[in-house]
Amino acid sequence: MGKTIISYILLFVVLVAAQAVVFNHICLFGMAVPLVFIFFILRLPVGIGINTLLTLSFLLGLTVDIFSDTPGMNALDCTILAALRNPILRLYMPREDDLANTIPSMKTLSPSVFLKYVVTATTLYCILYFILESFTFFALRQLVLRIVASTLLTFIFIVCIDSLTSLKSEKRL
Amino acid sequence: MRTLLNFLVKHQAWFLFIFYVVISLGLLFNNSPYQRHVYLTSASRVTGSVYRMSNSVTGYFNLRAINDDLQRQNAELSSELLALRDRVDALSLRLYADSITEVEPARKYDFILAKVINNSISHPHNYITIDKGALDGIHPEMGVIDQNGVIGVVEIVNDRFARIISLLNPDFRLSCKVKGNEVIGSMVWDGKDSRTALVEELPKHTVFAPGDTIVTSGYSAMFPPDIPVATIIERATTNDDNFYTLRVRLLTEFAQLSTVRVIINSDLDELREIEAGKKE
Repeated sequence: MGKTIISYILLFVVLVAAQAVVFNHICLFGMAVPLVFIFFILRLPVGIGINTLLTLSFLLGLTVDIFSDTPGMNALDCTILAALRNPILRLYMPREDDLANTIPSMKTLSPSVFLKYVVTATTLYCILYFILESFTFFALRQLVLRIVASTLLTFIFIVCIDSLTSLKSEKRL
Repeated sequence: MRTLLNFLVKHQAWFLFIFYVVISLGLLFNNSPYQRHVYLTSASRVTGSVYRMSNSVTGYFNLRAINDDLQRQNAELSSELLALRDRVDALSLRLYADSITEVEPARKYDFILAKVINNSISHPHNYITIDKGALDGIHPEMGVIDQNGVIGVVEIVNDRFARIISLLNPDFRLSCKVKGNEVIGSMVWDGKDSRTALVEELPKHTVFAPGDTIVTSGYSAMFPPDIPVATIIERATTNDDNFYTLRVRLLTEFAQLSTVRVIINSDLDELREIEAGKKE
């Protein structure tokens, strides 16, 4: 238990730092921005209490906001994503009770379920994020392109990070 | 009472959710820049330290391009210096025969050099963080430039860090003019591309051609006059028939900022006093 908490704290710090230092400065073709830190929300155990899930997600969003000078934007999106995470999981995975303590990843869920879960969550997050962003400048074509491109890029990065962290936890356990 | 408590406990997740959403919305729409607290920005002590650490690595990138810019500016300044020196010599020769004594003008502008430790160009509201703060003499509303052109204005200051509103931020409008003309326009970013911006509210009688330089007007007290900002690409189409709007190419490469200069205007306090007195 203590080990899991420490590994989650580590994941939080590493993801926020990576987002602030590296991923925030990636802007492919002027539109694709990887929002990789949401991997933390996706990675929290299936059976985690809804209050903890909401609080951790809100704190994650707020921390990223502080680093990237977007007050409130990621905090709002992360809270909404946290509220919708379990419904999304339930959508693809009928037997939730058996997996109460599972940490969602490619290995523990089947690859198809995990990929569907990540795609849905990423798409949702990118739609929320860029719609909030477009309150300043509204251009529909640009908005749609940004959502699609960023979803793709974020998805690719999250799958990469998932394979990396799975390797690590295998060695540790 | 018990039913109320039961209700609250039963739906606590919803209340928590609504609570967080309300906080986020409060942060999101509390947009007046001077009310935001410095702790919730990239200029706070913790975030600033993280960015300074990462900058100690990334600060070496792009050095070749920056060096080329500096060499070019150095050559321009040297030739300007030589021309001015010749002029001073000629004038002082003329003054020698005159009875009027020369008055040395006081130096009005000074610079503080600072390193950019965080910078964004992909958001609709972009900010830049620098590694100098109040302890180094930086105050809000100071202008910031680099070797190529205007960067932005200092917005929030911490002891050791400061956050700058980038020119790539619609909250910032820069008073500017076409070089050689005295008519003023206002430069603002339209969120499309980090390399171009718009100059709005130029009167119809302004004479310009594509390729002309846009410079600061000097009316804002943050920037000295005649600092180059951009070059004209073309006339942009707008709904407003009374003014011209120009699309311009920014001279500053916002994607690769390294060292910037914060401008200290020694007249700023006096100017502000006069302007405040005018309002009363």
